[in-house]
Amino acid sequence: MGGRGTSFALWLSGAVVGIVLLIGIIAPFVGYDPVSDVDYDAQLLGPSWSHLFGTDAQGRDVAIRLLKGTEAFFLPGLLAAAIAVVGGALAGAVAGYLEGFGRTVVLGLLQLIDTLPRLVFIILVCTILNPSITLISGVAGVLFIPAIATVIRRKVEALASEDYILAHVAHGFSPARILIYHILWLQCRPVLIRQATFVFGYVLFVETALSYLGDYGVQEPAPSWGNMVAQTRDLAGQAPWPWLFPAIAIVLTISAFLSFGNLLARRDEEAIR
Amino acid sequence: MRALPLVLATLRRLAGSLGLLVGASFIIYMMVRMAPGDVIDAISPMGTPPEMKAQLAAEFGLDRDPVTGYFAWLSRSAVGDFGESLAFSPGESVMAVAVPAFKRTLMLCALTLLAGLALGLGLAVLMGEPGPRQQIFTGPAYVLTAAPSFVVAVLFAQGMNWFIHLFVADGSYEPPIWYPIPIYADSLMPYVFAGFSMLAGDGLFMDWFNTLRAELLSLKQSQFIIAVRAKGARTFGHIVKNLWVPVISSFAARLPLVLGSVVIVEYIFTLDGAGYVLLEASRLRDFPMVVGLSVLFTATVIAVSLAADLVRALVDPREVSRGG
Repeated sequence: MGGRGTSFALWLSGAVVGIVLLIGIIAPFVGYDPVSDVDYDAQLLGPSWSHLFGTDAQGRDVAIRLLKGTEAFFLPGLLAAAIAVVGGALAGAVAGYLEGFGRTVVLGLLQLIDTLPRLVFIILVCTILNPSITLISGVAGVLFIPAIATVIRRKVEALASEDYILAHVAHGFSPARILIYHILWLQCRPVLIRQATFVFGYVLFVETALSYLGDYGVQEPAPSWGNMVAQTRDLAGQAPWPWLFPAIAIVLTISAFLSFGNLLARRDEEAIR
Repeated sequence: MRALPLVLATLRRLAGSLGLLVGASFIIYMMVRMAPGDVIDAISPMGTPPEMKAQLAAEFGLDRDPVTGYFAWLSRSAVGDFGESLAFSPGESVMAVAVPAFKRTLMLCALTLLAGLALGLGLAVLMGEPGPRQQIFTGPAYVLTAAPSFVVAVLFAQGMNWFIHLFVADGSYEPPIWYPIPIYADSLMPYVFAGFSMLAGDGLFMDWFNTLRAELLSLKQSQFIIAVRAKGARTFGHIVKNLWVPVISSFAARLPLVLGSVVIVEYIFTLDGAGYVLLEASRLRDFPMVVGLSVLFTATVIAVSLAADLVRALVDPREVSRGG
């Protein structure tokens, strides 16, 4: 594996990830009022210099709505990734470290969370709490804890009997330091990177899907990539750009995040070996 | 003597699954109790008459403390009584609506996964070992299939609309029989399109393909297949026999993902499966229906993982001795 093809793909996906992150950071500072942007003299215009990606059925500029739409998933995605990675790493490390009853309890809890079908559970939470996207992404983060914890636990169990870890123990390093620095940071970094990008991609999926469905998630007139794609329902075949550009943005962003995480992790794994 | 450990492992696994189901239903029940404000007002649709509210409160055990309320609810739902639908199909019992819908959904998921298995295996056999030239083909395919299934489904339906615009004469009313949005209840085509969207989306197919190819390659290079080849015997039967176990594992591992994407894809193609009912019921705030379906979905995940473990134990005795 490896070689030029891989590093090109890494750079390409990294560039897309970088652009999305950059847009996500600057988007909150761009002033945009979706109501005053409505212009019924400029409905469904094609792409041009004044409207880079055209306008939608209310004459709103698609490009700026794409840019502001990143706000809907950017911070929630980071939050979910942080919850999943921190929670998963800790739970996995604890489950791998503990023995006996404590281990059984932690493993049982993790398995319990893992059996809940993620999207169905999120819809259930939406029905009951009618929550903000931040809370939804928090729930998504928690639902991903078991997936990460399992990988980490296996790694911790495999490493615990390695000679150099035993040497650390013999030197009197504290268990916390061995677990957090020598095992989690030095050995599990690739896994955590891969899972973090995956969770971020999943939150983008959930946010766009819920906004597409329309009842939960980001509501019109506030822009979200999902509710922009939902305009297909009113625009059957009239003009593709109001929904085609957001659809392309979703596909590109999710696949870029997934492949960036995968490729970065693979490179890191090779370096560790 | 082989049977005893198998039976013991089965019983242990069965008990574990039951425990999981009870635990998961407790989480779902506690979610209901967490509804903001007065729970009974929060979970009943607007304009529900008071006697209906009282019945609902009794059904969910809301008049008691969470733990005894949970067991009251559990004792009724364990025998399949999730109460009556409030808004989706008023007056009918939840199970009468949910079970037929769920059957359709499971059928769709199973067919999708089977089609993915057949296609993935076929492609894996055809492609053989991965090489740099294949990456020109698999690289873009990997990127494209990472698209969420609902985006694939939307684009697909849009493409269909556009295609039909081109080919259906002006003024004709009847859509062609292969139209993806169902107009007649007995049409099979929407299911085919929905299955295709689920397979093409979420990276599902490429995942299948990569897993199967890796398994196939590692099997082909393993010592015992080389030994079989050296003896001049056919390797096909041996490979198939050993491919079973990983195939079942990845089948079971991917079902939760597919059960998620099926919800939205069914909604887009308006197939009246469990996912469609779940979203409609959630929109109408039909609580007994949403809770009942959530429990059914969870039970399916648990049951499939149990079934996969049992089949694996039957096919591969090593699993039992490993204590899996």
